[in-house]
Amino acid sequence: MAELTSFSYQAGDSLLHRIDVRFKILFVILISLICLNLYFAGLAILTSLLLGLILHARLSLISGLKELRYFLILLCFIFVARVLSTDGTSLIDLRFSSVSIQGFHNGILVCCRLTIIVILGFAFISTTRPATIKAAVQWFLKPVPFIPEKKVALMMGLILRFVPVIFHQAGEIAEAQKARGVENRKNPVYRLTKLAFPLLRRTFERADNLVAAMEARAYTENRTDPELVFHKRDWISLIAVCFLSICMLLL
Amino acid sequence: MNIIEIENLCHRFADGTFGIEGINLNIREGSFVVIAGPNGSGKTTLLRHLNGLLAPTAGMVRLAGIPVEQNLLRARQLVGMMFQDADSQIVGETVYEDVAFGPHNLRLDHRKVKRRVLNALDVVGLRDFINQRPHLLSGGEKRRLAIAGILAMEPKVIVFDEPFSNLDYLGVKQVLQHITALHQSGQTILVTTHDLEKIIAHADRMILMHNGKIIRDGIPTSIMAGIEAFGVRTPCSFRLGLEVKSWLS
Repeated sequence: MAELTSFSYQAGDSLLHRIDVRFKILFVILISLICLNLYFAGLAILTSLLLGLILHARLSLISGLKELRYFLILLCFIFVARVLSTDGTSLIDLRFSSVSIQGFHNGILVCCRLTIIVILGFAFISTTRPATIKAAVQWFLKPVPFIPEKKVALMMGLILRFVPVIFHQAGEIAEAQKARGVENRKNPVYRLTKLAFPLLRRTFERADNLVAAMEARAYTENRTDPELVFHKRDWISLIAVCFLSICMLLL
Repeated sequence: MNIIEIENLCHRFADGTFGIEGINLNIREGSFVVIAGPNGSGKTTLLRHLNGLLAPTAGMVRLAGIPVEQNLLRARQLVGMMFQDADSQIVGETVYEDVAFGPHNLRLDHRKVKRRVLNALDVVGLRDFINQRPHLLSGGEKRRLAIAGILAMEPKVIVFDEPFSNLDYLGVKQVLQHITALHQSGQTILVTTHDLEKIIAHADRMILMHNGKIIRDGIPTSIMAGIEAFGVRTPCSFRLGLEVKSWLS
């Protein structure tokens, strides 16, 4: 089966790879929140820092950006919505609305912010093993009452493992239906139902087999806990991120 | 010594049909047994009783003298099972994570888990794929990964349910090589198949199942005659009266 996405872990030994996953999650949340309050100067500094780190980690940003083509369509919609819905000095008058300078400015700003958050996500996903993300979720959920953290972590792991398999299955079903001329049916609802039902049936069958396979390997909730250790570099990076965040907010 | 003892085992499904009926069977430690039969003959149902995945309607399975239901964890550690669809058996996001799944369930410490995982990956020759995502492996590599996942549990018996289905010639040879190597290292091997051609040269015992019952049991050469009447194809060498040759030779 071919590689499905470049939005996945890429092995390496850079600083981004070595920072503890719990700190990385914290940084992603913190920087995303700050990013939503930054203006162009702050965004420019953040982008250069982020690109520097991505280059240092030897991540393939171009292949990551290729995966973002659908996100770019979403950005275009957001941009247009912002342009048309912000009041201000009119630039172009349309019959139903008007394009304002402020709307144009606002649209670009929002799109820049969202793009940076997505690049941040790309840097996180590409430098973090899925198993450690699962371990971190388990660690964060441990003090939360009424949430079975081990079950949640296992479910996360299984989703990460089985999403490509389900996509592959959907691809196979779609090809089998194309081979039988489904493209001649123009009704998208008909085509979607013909794809969805076999896919769901196959997915449930697979889930049944998975349960048997997990039980055969003595599955229990009371498993060996994942190993996560804090290092000095994690605390140093926390201080650095906090300092930079404050500086960027003050700009 | 018998590692598996099955007494009058019956399993009736929810719709009332019998999956298996009146199975009596002893498997000696270190033996290589092929369970043959057409689809729906009860092979998989029988196997799933060996580690308690299915509970019998009647009868009992004992592993090294202890009933399966008395200690399910022990049963699942003793009997490793490779399923027909390797894709459904692989649960980890990486090769390492998948092999470590069993040892983690046994609550072993991280050092022991790592040792077991690396040993198992060495045995199946997948050490170089340790950080690979399983869905990117080939069919044969996925089967080998499933074998590694079983080996990391250090079982005494390994059960293979149709291990060669959907594999190309090279994949069949690789999996067969691992099965025979495991047998030579002292493991008890049980293989179910409806295609005897690939495996029969290595088996020291064959069990033929039909409609949920054992109808023949013995040395392959002695019970091969007329098996096609029960929906299992006679291997070419037997048809032509030639010496049985391994696919590995």
